[in-house]
Amino acid sequence: MTLIQPSPVAVETAPQHRSRAVLATGFVLLLGLLAAVCFFSITLGSRGVGIPTIWKAFTDYDPSSASQTVIRELRVPRTLIGIFAGAALGISGAILQGVTRNPLADPGIMGINAGAAAFIVFGIMVLGAQDVSTYVWFAFAGAGVATVTVYGIASFGREGATPVKLALAGAAVTAILTSITSAIVMTNVEALNQLRFWQVGSLAGRYFPVFWQTVPFLAIGLVVALGTGRALNGLALGEDLALALGQRVRLTRVVMFVTVAVLCGAATAACGPIVFVGLIVPHIARMICGPDYRWILSYSLLLTPILLLAADIVGRLAVAPGELQVGVVLGVLGAPAFILLVRYRNLAEL
Amino acid sequence: MKRLLLLPVAGLLLAACGFSTSTDNASSDDGASEGGPWSYASGDGKTYTADSTPQRIIAQGEAAAALMSYGIKPVAIYSNDPVKTNKSLKGLDLSGIEILSETFGEIDGEKAAELRPDLIVSSYWPLEKAYGGFESGVKAEAKKVAKLAPVVGPAEGDSVVEKLEGYEELAVSLGADVSDPKIAASKKTFDEAVDRFETTVAGQKGLTTLAVSPADDLLYVAVPGEASELSDFQRWGLDIIDPDSPDPGFPYWENLSWENADKYQPDVILMDDRNAETSMKIAAGQPTWTSIKAAEADAIVMWPAYWIHTYSDYAEQLDLLSDALAKADPDLT
Repeated sequence: MTLIQPSPVAVETAPQHRSRAVLATGFVLLLGLLAAVCFFSITLGSRGVGIPTIWKAFTDYDPSSASQTVIRELRVPRTLIGIFAGAALGISGAILQGVTRNPLADPGIMGINAGAAAFIVFGIMVLGAQDVSTYVWFAFAGAGVATVTVYGIASFGREGATPVKLALAGAAVTAILTSITSAIVMTNVEALNQLRFWQVGSLAGRYFPVFWQTVPFLAIGLVVALGTGRALNGLALGEDLALALGQRVRLTRVVMFVTVAVLCGAATAACGPIVFVGLIVPHIARMICGPDYRWILSYSLLLTPILLLAADIVGRLAVAPGELQVGVVLGVLGAPAFILLVRYRNLAEL
Repeated sequence: MKRLLLLPVAGLLLAACGFSTSTDNASSDDGASEGGPWSYASGDGKTYTADSTPQRIIAQGEAAAALMSYGIKPVAIYSNDPVKTNKSLKGLDLSGIEILSETFGEIDGEKAAELRPDLIVSSYWPLEKAYGGFESGVKAEAKKVAKLAPVVGPAEGDSVVEKLEGYEELAVSLGADVSDPKIAASKKTFDEAVDRFETTVAGQKGLTTLAVSPADDLLYVAVPGEASELSDFQRWGLDIIDPDSPDPGFPYWENLSWENADKYQPDVILMDDRNAETSMKIAAGQPTWTSIKAAEADAIVMWPAYWIHTYSDYAEQLDLLSDALAKADPDLT
């Protein structure tokens, strides 16, 4: 079978199309912005640490200095997790919105968060998992199982996994998993404590062990995800047209869902179910780039960590000497941002 | 019981969830005609009366332990945690007592109503202006249970000793016989334990302590004035560091991010003993936990957090504390 490229005409006629040079410049600017946010993520926090001490933490580390430990063992892994998990969530949201042609798709619609939470609770209650490094794997497995189940249910029938069937299957599986979780949790207050953390999402309390456990999945997933742009462009034209263009639609979908499950499972394992970024960022990216998914994916890859880390920094400074979880900050700031977005611009029809 | 930790997180999410006290003030309920007129000055400042002495009592787990130490057996209890692991219910004969809940925030309303209670007993939390089990944030079904009968109990706050006296007064009003020599004996053991604690602490000049509860994302530092046993310890001479900026929304604790774990440097850490095993594991996984010198030196002593409701439990815990504090190094920091 010959793979024919999606018609460039469809892309060219898009209203928000910008020239490749402009988009490339924007991408470089975003890289710079990400670097800046990372710098602040290392230098700002609920504990005041001076630049000289930060410098020493990297050049002449003294493990007995609490401030240097904070920089190296807390803020560096926190920032790294923010970058990778953020990128994973944003790019997953973009893929899900593209593949389901549903502008409200995000990791939540596939039951991924619910699956991760259900498996974590199962791990804690039934198998006695207690520390983060153990239930990371339960989160990951849960995300995978949920995705496969949803996709499997939606695939029944002649026409395969249509957007509507996927959304319905996602809602149903989410409901089942959530009730299983509640049923287990209600019998034990300790699991309830742990789960509250998993319901909000946070970059705090997650260190290098968690990072090293999730980063291989995140890195591979991101590379694969970035390669799906062309196929998403094809799907955006409609299934029939994509088929006519010679795309293997079903296989493409499977690859995308597996990628999303890996990315979201690992991201949820690393920092809990973080909401909104996966939903909003692809829309922002689409506003900037127009409908070409190769650019939407690239922009989402950078925009999400920028937003996530910025929100995390706000949470660190807002209630020092304590901290607000990034999930709470995103909820508080993200909701009005989304409303503004909807008010000022009709979200792109997919 | 871990609810004191739960709510700071939950509070953010439940911001819109208002709370109204639903005590039926001085309700005289049904007309069971045994016993004379009954009255009790409760922790919320109100005096509750009834035409007859309440017989069918539903009690919160710790309150049940208090009542049972005076021979008053409730018909049902609701607990914040599994009855098997609840520290204050350890060793008590619970046969014939219905268990209405083993989870904070829930009470089986249907079962509770079937039991036709005359009285519900639980400690009063002045900061939250609510009796234990009926705070803001509990499920609606649990709140409804508070309407089945008057809810009474002494206040938490200044002193466990005062609370125990409150429970004794309540037990007496309910017909307990306090002349039982066992009661006098447990009080005597308790007085001796207090003496020993005072002597031990007096002998450890300059020893400072800090009461904490570690969680995944924050280190909670207890405000001694809002934990009745910590207030007692301070009164008996123990120096417990007072955190300077308690969470305004939930002033039982100051919330420290793990970045700020070393803000206070005590000679000894008093570790919240509810789920202590998990707490210790969580703390050990935090790179900055050992930036507290006492943690580094493993100078960690269990703090019986919020659960003591009987003289015998208090005596036992004080002895454990005295033993541990006697070995502490007052010059660690």
